[in-house]
Formats: sequence, C-alpha cells, structure tokens
Amino acid sequence: MRPEAGQTERELAGAVRDWASRALPGPRIAASESEGALPADVIHDLGELGVLGMGVPESDGGLGASTVVFALVLEELGAAWPSLAIGVSVNSGIVAGSIVRHGTPAQRARWLPRLMDGSGLGAFALTEASSGSDAASLRATARRDGDGWVLNGRKHFITNAKYAPLAITFARVGAAEEGVATRPGAPPTAHAGITAFIVPTDAPGVSLGPSDHKMGLLASDTSALVLEDARVGSDAVLGEVGRGFGIALAGLDGGRIGVAAQSIGIARAAIERAVRYARERRQFGKTLVEFEAIRFSLARARTEVDAARMLALRAAWLRDRGCPFTREASMAKLFASEAAQRATYQALQVFGGYGYMREYEVERYARDARVTTLYEGTSEVQRMVIARSLVAA
Amino acid sequence: MKFLVCLKQVPDSTVRVKVAADGKSIATDGITWSISPYDEYAIELALEHKDGDPSTTVSVVTVGPARSRDALRQALAMGCDDATLVTAADTVGGLDVAKALAAVVKEAKPDVVLCGKQASDDDQGLVGPALAEALGWPHVGMLTKIAAVADGVELWREIEGGHEVWTAPTPVVGLVHKSAKEPRYPSLPGIMKAKKKEIPEKDLAALGVTPGAPRAEVVAMEPPPQRGGGKILKADGDVKALAAELARLLHEEAKVL
Repeated sequence: MRPEAGQTERELAGAVRDWASRALPGPRIAASESEGALPADVIHDLGELGVLGMGVPESDGGLGASTVVFALVLEELGAAWPSLAIGVSVNSGIVAGSIVRHGTPAQRARWLPRLMDGSGLGAFALTEASSGSDAASLRATARRDGDGWVLNGRKHFITNAKYAPLAITFARVGAAEEGVATRPGAPPTAHAGITAFIVPTDAPGVSLGPSDHKMGLLASDTSALVLEDARVGSDAVLGEVGRGFGIALAGLDGGRIGVAAQSIGIARAAIERAVRYARERRQFGKTLVEFEAIRFSLARARTEVDAARMLALRAAWLRDRGCPFTREASMAKLFASEAAQRATYQALQVFGGYGYMREYEVERYARDARVTTLYEGTSEVQRMVIARSLVAA
Repeated sequence: MKFLVCLKQVPDSTVRVKVAADGKSIATDGITWSISPYDEYAIELALEHKDGDPSTTVSVVTVGPARSRDALRQALAMGCDDATLVTAADTVGGLDVAKALAAVVKEAKPDVVLCGKQASDDDQGLVGPALAEALGWPHVGMLTKIAAVADGVELWREIEGGHEVWTAPTPVVGLVHKSAKEPRYPSLPGIMKAKKKEIPEKDLAALGVTPGAPRAEVVAMEPPPQRGGGKILKADGDVKALAAELARLLHEEAKVL
C-alpha cells in the first residue's frame, strides 16, 4: 500500500472539507449540539453532495468509492463535527454496506436510495440492555406469522434512531422455527438463530424510546428502538435466516474503520485549535509555542494522529482488495480512539482554563472523543479481537 | 437554452496576499487558487436553469495560464457540461482576453454569455463589457436573475433599494452580481465525472489574437500601512479622570465622538 492516499481520494476528501468549512460554521454546530439534533438540511446536503452513497456501487446509484475514500471523508467530517461523522459512518458504512453486501436486488433497489438521498440516516439495531459487546446473547425474538415475521424486543443506544427510515435489526429466530441454519446434530451455538431484518421504522409495532442523554456527541441521536409485535414482511430478512451474526460482525468490522477515521478527525481538529491558540496566547512574555513543554506535547499528538491514519488506511486498503482486515480494523480503531483521548487532553491543557469553557470548541472535541474507545467495541474488545488472531493456532 | 460562462481563476479569498520581490505583482508561490466569486454566481445562475430544464447546456471557458485548468475542472464538478481552456500568460491585458473570448463565443454560439461583474483579484470589471463590444451584442450588468421569455430573456438587475427587470433579445452578454442561492458545492460524483471529461486547449494565436503591448501597466504594489498599536489607559484609581481622558482621545484622535 501507499503510505499516503492517492490524488483523487484526497480531492474527494478535500471537497468534503471545503463544504464543511463553509456550511458548518461554529455557532451553527454549537446551536445544534444544544438542541440535540442534526439539522435536516445538513443531512439533505450530504445526500446532494453524494457523501451518503459514497460506498454504494455505481450500479446501485452510489459513488462506488473505495474504503480509503470513506476513511478520508469520515476523518474530514470527524474534524468538522463528530456528531455528524458518526451518523454518516453508521448510515453509509454499516447500514448501506450491509444491504450492499447481503441484500437482494429488490432490497437494494428499495432501501439504498433512502440511505443516499439525504431524507434520513439509517440505523443498526444490535445492542440491547443486557448485550453489548457480547452481542450473541441478544434476546429480541422473531417468529414467523403468515407470510411475514413478528418481532419483539428492545434495542438500546441506537444511533440515528430518530432520523432513520429503516433499522437493520437483529433478533433471534427460535430453534423450533423452520429454516434455522444449524447443522443437524451439531450443538446449538450462542449465536444460533440470530437473524438480520430490515425493519422500516414506520412498520406497525415499531416505536422509539426517549433519546439518551450523553456526555458528548450531543447532536447525534441515540434512542431506544422498541419492537412490540412489530410486523414486517417476508422480504425483510437480510441475508439468510439464522445467519445474522455474521452480518453483524462484518458490519462492525467496517464500522471500526469509520470510528477510527472519526477519532483521527477529532484529534486533528483539537490539535489544530491548540496550535492556533498557542501561537497567539502569551504568558511570561512569550507565546505558548515558544515553550518546549507545549511544542513537545503538540509534536507527540500529531505523530500519533499520523500513525493512526496509516493504520486506518491500511485496514481500508486491505478491505478494498477483499483481504481479511478484521484485525487491522481493530488495531486502527484501538489506536486511533486512544490517541484521540491523549490528543484532546493535551489540546485542552494548552488552552488552560479557557479550554474548559464551552465557547472554545476544544471542550466539545474532548467530550466527543470519549465515546470512541467505547462504541463499536470497547478498547478491551479490540484487544480481545487482536489477541485472538495472534494466539489462534 | 445554451449558456457559456466566462470565468477567471484568482487567488482564493482566504489567501494572505504578499507583494512579490518585483514590487509590481503578488507572490504566488504555494497560494490556493479558486474561481472568482462573481463567476461562481454566474455558474450557479446558469446551473439553476439546467436544474429546471435539463435540455439547458452550460459551457465554461477561461483565458489564463495552465493552472486555470483546475478552475474549469471545479466548474465541471459543479455540473457544467464542457470546458475550454485558452492558454495565455497572466500578463495578457483585458482587451485581448475579451477578443479571445469573443472568438470562442463565435464558435460555440451560445444564447447567453455570463461573466462575473468583475474578478476579485484586480476588480477591473473590464472583460465583460469589452466582450459584448467585441461581439456587438447587448450587455446588461448587475444581474441577480435571468429567465427565458419569448424572443429573448428577462434580466433582473440589482439597483439601490430594489431591482429592475429588463428584457433583451438573445444572444446577450450578462454580468452577474449574485445568484439567489449560494453557488453549489461540487458533489463527489460530480468530481468523478469531471475527471473523465477532456478539456480542450487553445492558444491565442489559434484564435487569431496577437496580444498587443499593454496600454496600462501596474507600476508598483504596496501593502496597506501597518496599523499602529492600540493605546492602553492605565486605571490608577481615578476613574473620572480616566473617563475624561478616554472621551478626549475618542474625540480628538480617533474622531469617533
């Protein structure tokens, strides 16, 4: 792989950076963060710009861009507005990606346009109150009813729930159900029967719980998705009945590249602000950039950002070539998200007491960074994934 | 309707301009170049027509050095159909630029030629009217809107405190002040499509233009004088005297009171 992205890839990311610098001024972001919602016109713009369909093949009406482009664009969105970046990562990376990989032609034709046109952002409903990283223990159920399905359960921490035309929802099909994909005679595995469904959020029996109050990413919606005898058609099954766990894992692998990129963007933006501030702020008769302690902390943070980007681009590059990339995606996500903690911490230190004030954006980046070591698998889960691949015989 | 938009590549408005060593030009090393803002409005006006009527075509042309190709590429990424680059040194004067554009216009035969009302680098506002003159076409300035009507176009111009509506037969040259909407951003699919388009290149000689000696010349460029430092009044307890001194300075030195 090249250590740097190619020219076209950088141009596409540059177009998103230009858009963000003009369309997302600081006060606009601050207002949306306190309102707790992404503005509909911003999502619409991203549809018009072709950002939402960037990973969807051209034959399905998308841009057909590489995962490398996806990572660079997500970095730009993360640098501009982390709440927006995660919404796009889930919609365009995980949800659209899952439908592209596993959807029937009819499912692709029906749902991909809804994920690309800027009318909303899709959701991925895997997590439950008692099953986070241990996704295989999920409790939501699905049973056949006539020629459709009836789903029951409660999904937690669902990003984009309020804006979503659809949620890819994971539920367990009972062992007695017809068509469960376990081999005859084999003992049932923990993830037996887990099935992915494309659930329209306006389907009967589907409702939203209240939005969660978070520490950061305040404009990104996180709500519960409630399924009470929710009815979907037989065409709602994504992939095969009983094979949902693999779809979930594949979705998360790609999602980890998105979170790595978002983390890199957050870290970069925090450092840029710290550098700007340190060049102007004077103490003891000197600007802050003249103090070695400040220079070194900025140098270390920037080195980590570049290292994180190379890990993320490696994972993206492998994925684009159809190579296994699970371990590399976990490494990128682990390192980038942890680097974002250190970078935002150092950036805030540079600002001193002002950094703790809301009017300086570095405070928001520090709060937004925190979740990156938690969602799409905690750092500990990433280490489990990496270690598993190391010690496997 | 067939539009042709003439654009100029200029230093981006975010560039901190510095005078070059020759004292007569600006230092261009490493600066960012963009489409001149009024030209971007002209592109947006034309593309809005195309949004409403897909049979509309929007061509762009520029006269400038090789780097101007990037500005044309950007216009294509915004949604323009085709682009022509006329290569010429930066120093070629406005009248010769207008003659070269006239040759391109005669070949392309558009219904409407749009230019920004002036370029944001030298703010001369010369090329648009000179082009109309060279073509012998009517020209209308300060446009904010353009609509097709029977036998021509309806042109909205901004004037002090309101607007005027003119009509003109086509072909016509319009000088754009602003578009109703902000110029659109290049979309990602637009960038990919623009990369695949050929941009034909012509030189002045091929268009029958021999650049004449400049009739006007920049003699010197100077940065604006540095602003003096602020004045800080020391508060040493006597607030009344301090306020009186502040009022005196605002009145006598700053002359704002």
